[in-house]
Amino acid sequence: MNENLFASFTTPMMMGVPIVVLIIIFPSILFPSPNRLINNRLATVQQWLIQLVSKHMLSIHNYKGQTWALMLMSLILFIGSTNLLGLLPHSFTPTTQLSMNLGMAIPLWAGTVVMGFRHKTKASLAHFLPQGTPLPLIPMLVIIETISLFIQPVALAVRLTANITAGHLLIHLIGGATLVLMNINPVTALITFIILILLTILELAVALIQAYVFTLLVSLYLHDNT
Amino acid sequence: MLGTGLLLYMLSKEIYVVNHETIAGASTLIVLIYAIRKFGPQVGAFADKLNEEKVAKAQEVKDTAINSLKQAIADENKEQWRVEGRNYLFDAKRSNVVMLLETNYRERLLHVYEEVKKRLDYQVNLQHVIFRREQEHMVNWVEKNVIQSLTAQQEKESIAKCIADLKVLSKATHASL
Repeated sequence: MNENLFASFTTPMMMGVPIVVLIIIFPSILFPSPNRLINNRLATVQQWLIQLVSKHMLSIHNYKGQTWALMLMSLILFIGSTNLLGLLPHSFTPTTQLSMNLGMAIPLWAGTVVMGFRHKTKASLAHFLPQGTPLPLIPMLVIIETISLFIQPVALAVRLTANITAGHLLIHLIGGATLVLMNINPVTALITFIILILLTILELAVALIQAYVFTLLVSLYLHDNT
Repeated sequence: MLGTGLLLYMLSKEIYVVNHETIAGASTLIVLIYAIRKFGPQVGAFADKLNEEKVAKAQEVKDTAINSLKQAIADENKEQWRVEGRNYLFDAKRSNVVMLLETNYRERLLHVYEEVKKRLDYQVNLQHVIFRREQEHMVNWVEKNVIQSLTAQQEKESIAKCIADLKVLSKATHASL
């Protein structure tokens, strides 16, 4: 407990050199893309997974939406891999930084909105007013819909940041509690350790789910606007 | 050996500090090892199965191509054999045709012969008829002349002679009875 709880969330520096770029680029090494028909097991399983996910995720889109396939697939792979790698001890997760998540969410969301306004102007404007509203409520509802539209990217980014950061914090806290309790009362430490294990399983799931949710929402915004 | 020594050294000298991250790392490690032990072989077998399917598909294409080519070769050989046998077929057909022609020719020959025979028979019968007519005519003429030449006297003489003969004959008959 020499450092404060938030030490793992600072920009990683090694002898004064920011290596955060290296850390962000690192997960791409884990996804080989050979050009053969028969690959090793890792590449085969990854290929199969990507095929499965892309089929499910792009089945709802028309042709125009399916041009975003590469973007969505790389998004889910990046977020999933960085989240999973962050569960290792002493590692830095880029997705805990709000700056990075905003940098991912705002351009993607803005892309879908602008595309919608360019191609289907009337329908995009019509999204601001849900069907069947009584006449006096219309002005207020338009304002509310506008606010909800502009909140979308912020919600995307903050959701991802908060979930991953909260998970990491919980792990560190409970780990610290276990460490302290080991000297005082080993049995409680054991219970806390079991809680930690359960939490780790949850965090694994959360890592993957957050990636999925992010990508799904982007694809949903895309679907509305193509 | 080196690992254990290094680890103990780092722990004792607090080069590697035991903090909450150690516990977190330990729990992650436990979960990971458990998951890999449990699902590792299955995932490996699955990946192998995927690859096997790909190889099997390619192999199937190759086998189908080879089989169709072999079939084509066998068919070609059969066609060549058939071509050789075609000569016998043509010979048989040719002799068949020749036989038909021969039969037809013989039939017509027979027909011609019968027609000619009919005509000749007709002529022969005609001649027979004429001959008979002439004969009859001659006999009639001779009879007529003979009868004409018979005078009355000769008639009487012959009749008297006939009566005398008859009497003699009757006498002879009466004698025999």
